[in-house]
Amino acid sequence: MGDTIEVNGLRKSYGGRVVNEIPRLTLSEHRIEGLIGPNGAGKTTLMSLITGRIRPDTGSVRLLRDGAAIEITGMSLNRVARLGVVRTNQKIQDFESLTIEDSMLLSLATDRDEGPGRLFGERDFRERCDPIIADYVAAMKFADRSAHALSAGEKKLLDIVRCLLLEPKILLMDEPTVGLPTEQTDEVMALVSRVAERQDMKVVIIEHDLDLIWKVCEHVHFMADGQILLHGTPEEVRTNRLVRDKYMGESHA
Amino acid sequence: MFDLLTSYTLFSLSTVMGFVALATLLHLQFGLAGIVNFGVVGFWGLGMYAFGVLLIQFEVPYPLAMLLAVAIVAAVSLLIGWVIVDLNDQAVLVATLAFGTIVTSLVTTEKWLTEGVVGLGSVPYPVETGDGALWQFVVLTAVTAAIVIYAARIAKTPYGRLLAAKRDNEPLARGLGKNTSRHKLTIFVITCALMGFVGTLSAPVHRFLTPDLIGPGVTFSAWIALIVGGKRHPLGGVLGVALTIFVFDFVIETYVPVPSEHAATVTVIKTIVYGVTLIVALMFRPLGLLGPGRKRGSR
Ligand SMILES: Nc1ncnc2c1ncn2[C@@H]1O[C@H](COP(=O)(O)OP(=O)(O)O)[C@@H](O)[C@H]1O
Ligand SMILES: [Mg+2]
Repeated sequence: MGDTIEVNGLRKSYGGRVVNEIPRLTLSEHRIEGLIGPNGAGKTTLMSLITGRIRPDTGSVRLLRDGAAIEITGMSLNRVARLGVVRTNQKIQDFESLTIEDSMLLSLATDRDEGPGRLFGERDFRERCDPIIADYVAAMKFADRSAHALSAGEKKLLDIVRCLLLEPKILLMDEPTVGLPTEQTDEVMALVSRVAERQDMKVVIIEHDLDLIWKVCEHVHFMADGQILLHGTPEEVRTNRLVRDKYMGESHA
Repeated sequence: MFDLLTSYTLFSLSTVMGFVALATLLHLQFGLAGIVNFGVVGFWGLGMYAFGVLLIQFEVPYPLAMLLAVAIVAAVSLLIGWVIVDLNDQAVLVATLAFGTIVTSLVTTEKWLTEGVVGLGSVPYPVETGDGALWQFVVLTAVTAAIVIYAARIAKTPYGRLLAAKRDNEPLARGLGKNTSRHKLTIFVITCALMGFVGTLSAPVHRFLTPDLIGPGVTFSAWIALIVGGKRHPLGGVLGVALTIFVFDFVIETYVPVPSEHAATVTVIKTIVYGVTLIVALMFRPLGLLGPGRKRGSR
């Protein structure tokens, strides 16, 4: 049934203000889950705590895999990523000197390919990567793979592609559609679902585009003021009074 | 007369070649991996002096003394690298600059080892036939060429892309599973050890080792050359040294007859021209002559 993430007694505060307070939470029991909530609810912080980008004040995050629990609290970002827990970024991020192709090659390179003494395997490596890169270039409609990602949309797509190329077990997506042209969001989500099926990958999506959430997620978590207030099927969450009052009531109705 | 010119020419060219090697190693450290090493002279000077001291004070056999000197530099850079690996750029700059200064002052004060300002002499060429200087120049050139070729090649491998990614956006690279700390440390130690190796090759060129050989000017010259030539380009160090150190320390000193009462003026002019060149390069070509020009509308 694949990997799940288990959070216990997690707490994070900034300057005395608690921004995450989660006694217990299991994520990615379902193939595609949603994490919704108003701005400032602590959604991004929760993902940063899970991936090791930041450390919690107290509490633990564990990765449950094949009946074993791997403690990932306190692990470095890169080790968590190597374990297969990866996230796409809310804020646009890129490597300014790498082209689209370079970026993809970077993701595809494993520890064994990377070393100061590895001067000669480049041609084989590129040959090995080429079909995979070609697939993604076509799927994402990148105009020129040897160019840099220029628009915000291209950078956002590239960020997602870099993560998918790592073949993660759990992909956390932080507001993937922000900055993307609307006609592309459907394609991207279709691609992510396809990869999820094919590679046995779980996905957790943070999104304000609720139509998308209701459409693609099997299960939704609702977060406000640093706490997970509710989980359930899209239908249950959508019709819940609390969610309407605290979130959809405002501007997202 | 001709003999004198030749040996002086070889001395100058060997010095220039040493700078090409240092500037190219700095390209790997800073241009590629983004490590702000302002202690270039420390690693080079430690290699040079450790070799000289082992050879002369302890009478260690020539090749072994070289090997040990490089090992010492590697060990010291591992220690420094371990301290600075996850610090920010400013802290790395200060720490490496301090290291360079420490090496210079230890060399001056620890007279029992280094003979201080009197000078440690004399470091012979490995082969003391008449052609020692020529062979040393050939070896230095070969080593420098190997470093330049390595720099050109590594940029186009997974490792080169990894270092560039680390330099551009380290958290993003780590998010993709890249152990940037480990790779930073590795490339730092390798390149610093090579700076030390170049130092061991430079020792017989200077013959008498004195503390004024290892002043901060060495670091700044390597930096200016790299910035002028193009920090991101594997040939940036070569071009930069050709336009700065080569012009002053070789062309002008060798071929322009400067009356001895004006010799000091040349040094001052050199410093001024270096400074102006650096400013002009940063204004019009922030990535150096071999880098792309400043884009319209960019920062
Ligand atoms: N590094 C930080 N320093 C101080 N406050 C922070 C920091 N990161 C996030 N916060 C605060 O934590 C709260 C939750 O932020 P975030 O997790 O980004 O929310 P969301 O992603 O749900 O919009 C916000 O009020 C934000 O201002
Ligand atoms: Mg957020």
